[in-house]
Parts: sequence; C-alpha cells; structure tokens
Amino acid sequence: MRTGFGAQLAALAGILMLWEVGVRAFGLGSHVMPTASAVFRDLWANPELMARGIVRTMTETLLGFAIGAAIGFGFGSAFAVSRAFERLLFPLFVLSQAIPVIAFGALVVMWLGNGIWSKVAIATYLTAFPVTVNTCRGMQSVDPQRLALLRSFGAGGWTIFWRLRVPFALPSIAAALKLGISLGLIGAIVGEWFGDTVGLGILLLQAMYNENLPRLWALILVCGAIGIFIYALFEAIERRWIFWKQEI
Amino acid sequence: MANGTADIAAPILQLSNLSMTFESAHVTVVALQDIGIRIGRGEFVTVVGPSGCGKSTLFNILAGLAEPDAGAEIRYHGETKRALELLGQVAFMPQRDLLLPWRRVVDNAILPLQVEGMPRAAALKRAEPLFGEFGLSGFERHYPQQLSGGMRQRVALMRTFLFERDLTLLDEPFGALDALTRSLMQRWLLEVWQKHQRTILFITHDVEEAIFLGDRVLVMTARPGRIKLVLEVPLARPRPSSMLTSPEFIALKRQVLAAIEEESVKSFQQTAAD
Repeated sequence: MRTGFGAQLAALAGILMLWEVGVRAFGLGSHVMPTASAVFRDLWANPELMARGIVRTMTETLLGFAIGAAIGFGFGSAFAVSRAFERLLFPLFVLSQAIPVIAFGALVVMWLGNGIWSKVAIATYLTAFPVTVNTCRGMQSVDPQRLALLRSFGAGGWTIFWRLRVPFALPSIAAALKLGISLGLIGAIVGEWFGDTVGLGILLLQAMYNENLPRLWALILVCGAIGIFIYALFEAIERRWIFWKQEI
Repeated sequence: MANGTADIAAPILQLSNLSMTFESAHVTVVALQDIGIRIGRGEFVTVVGPSGCGKSTLFNILAGLAEPDAGAEIRYHGETKRALELLGQVAFMPQRDLLLPWRRVVDNAILPLQVEGMPRAAALKRAEPLFGEFGLSGFERHYPQQLSGGMRQRVALMRTFLFERDLTLLDEPFGALDALTRSLMQRWLLEVWQKHQRTILFITHDVEEAIFLGDRVLVMTARPGRIKLVLEVPLARPRPSSMLTSPEFIALKRQVLAAIEEESVKSFQQTAAD
C-alpha cells in the first residue's frame, strides 16, 4: 500500500468540508456557489439520469479513442517506415491540429447527423494526432544496432516491424494513448454540445440554461471522476505490460 | 581440425583485395585496405589491433551489413559472393549484447530461430538443452534487465550459437566485463567452441585474449586498416590459464605487442595531426 493514501483521502474530505463551511459562512446564494451537500444530494437524487449520461459519453469516448488510436498507429507506422510519405502528409497532420476542433463541430454534425457518430468523430480526431506523432517518433528512434542485428539474422521488413519497431515504440505509444483517452473524453463532451439528447455534455448544457448550479457542479465532479478513472486504468495497463521504457 | 591444423586448403571464407572507403563531403577515410584472409573450417581466428583500425567495419561487411569497395573478392564456401549476399548467412554478435528488454531470456535466445520462421515451441525445444551449458539454468524466465553483465553476454552468445551458421563473428564479446569474469568466459567459450565445432572470427583489443583463444592471431594496422601480421599460435589445447605465464606464451605476446605498439604510435600521431 502506498503511504499517504489515507492522508490524501483526509485532505479530500477536508476540502469538501471547507467548501461546505465556506459557502455557508459567506452566505453565497445557490445561484453563485452551491454547497457541497447540495451537489451530492443532486447526484444521489438522479442516479438514472447520471448513469445514462455516463454510459453514453463513455461509449462515445471509447469508440472515438479506439478508432483514433488505430488510425494514429496506422499513419504513425507508415510515416516511420516511409520518409516520402511522412514528408507528404505529416505537415498536413500538424496543420489540421492548428484548427480548433470546435470549428469542425458543425460540419461533423451536418455530415454524420446528431447521433453518436458525430461525437465519436470528434473524439477520434483528437485522439489520432498524439498517437500518430508518438508512434512515428517511437519507431524512428529504434536502435540502429538492434536493427542491424535483426537484419543479420535475415529478418525482412515485416519481421523487423512486428518484432522490433512495434515493441520499441510501445512505451511512447502508451504515453500518447493516455493523452489520447483524456482528449477523447473532452471531444465527446464538446461534441454533444452541437446537439443531442443524451450524454454528460447535454446535461451540462441543460444545467447551464436552467441555472441549476448543484447539477452543474455534480456533472463537473462526474466528468473529473471519469477522467481520473480512465487515466488510472491506462497507467495501470502501462505499468503492468509495458515495463521496458528505461531500457531502450 | 582445430589446434592450428585447420583445413586451410579448403577455406570456409576467403577475402582478397578487400578495401572500404567512406566518403563524405569533406573527408575520405580509407577504413580498410587490401585485406586478405583465409579461414579454415573449425578454426578460431582472432583479430587484434588499435582502436579505429576498421575491425568493426570488417565485421559489418562479413555480416552482410555493408558493401566494400569494388574489386574486393569474397569467397564463402568457395563461391564468390557480394557482401550483401552474406546477410543471414553468418552468425554475428556485436559488441553490445543488444538483448530485447521486452523478451525473457529464453525468448531472446530463440529470436534468430523465430526470425527464420521456426514456431516458438520448436525453437524452445531446440534451446532447452543449451541453458545449462551457457550457465543460464534457472534464469530462462528472467528479463535481461534482471541479469548481470556476464550473464547478459552469455544470453547474447547463446542467441548467436542458436543461429547455426558455418561462420560465427564475435566482436569484442567480453570487452565490457571485469577481468575475472572475462577469463572465466574465455575458458568457457573455448569449451563451447570445441564441443560445437564452430568456425569463429573473434575481434578483441586484448592481446592476451587474442593469443589465449586463437589458432591464429591477425594483427591489424591503424587507418587505413591492413593486416600487418599473421601469427600462428602453436600452443596445445585445451589451454589452462597457467599457460598465460609460460615462456612460449610470453614470447608470442611480445611479438604481437611489438607489432601493435608500432601501430598505436602511428594511430596516435594521426589523431594528433587531424
């Protein structure tokens, strides 16, 4: 057990307490800052609404992430293997990232409709870029001596790709995946703002229009919890399965 | 076949007129010049020379990783080959162990077999009896980063031996080891070599090592790298470590050292002049 876990919990409880006491002491109205207890009451009172929102937004995030990671791996590998291909397309990849994702939002909705796929597309778009860059850089940084050794065993391009380049790049790909899943969540939530009926992003908008501050804060906490959960999940996977970062 | 009586008449490898020039925008470096070597089946030949004499370049050519200048003749098993045709034909062990940190010891050892297309189960079966001999019993499931330098080097050697080719190139395999481990590894390597009847070309910085291991010692010159001296080592095998202090050994060592010293001075002056 890591030391200080208890202390961290205590600190969290302390902050919630401070929040509760502070809001009451300064007499802030619930239209400015709700109390912590009001926020949690709202959370408990609407479990179904929250659960539906979480399931929907997580589905969008994970789908977008999976597709984005696959696209990123594909393009990143192609860039790493072919200099010409990299020169041709990589600048366009970088350029595309200079355009704020919001600018594409309306277009994506017009193309893919108001359903789940427009959100998936935005999450995909945000995930693909870091995965592409890190896949490419990771594979390009492959140790030339190990490359020569495999070639001296008579290894061809595919063998070198799967037995050397991919495992060599995995630590840097894993770092990009952690970033990608967090960006994917943002993409899914923002995507919902362009119109839909379910999802955490929609609930956020509704809370804003209704000036329902306890709901708004409840949603902020839920989004934060999801973000921490998926990041921790990937961190755990990385620690367990991709342990050779220090060795290459 | 070994013991200096190797079959030179039908050599496994024969090089003549082999030169290698590196050209860049500003400088032209002649790394190797007019190298000629004959290596018989089952021979243990050592190459010793000052740093920068092109020993590693020679190995890269023999491993099929670099093409020498036009005019070189490489005969492998009596057939004329281009260097690139040797790719996959020669077992090559570079200076660094180059183990793959994501593979366990056993999976590192069988890598060349898998590259050749052998299924993992069959490759494991082939490797299994060798772990004891290579001093790795009980460490099959470890990762390389859990092993000492000497053990890592043995994994790399085992990998090279499992890549069964008629010629094995070892590039300073014990260079990074401490003196004690090194002398243990030398005697162990001789045992393995005699048991498996491999032909070995072995690069080293260390004159004692070159004489102790070799049937013949090739002394190379500084840039451009040439073969300055070919010395037969008539010492009987198996060679005990007490041999290192015998008069015959010391006489050989004196001969090699004299040749090398001349070269080292030249190399030093070159560097100073550059």
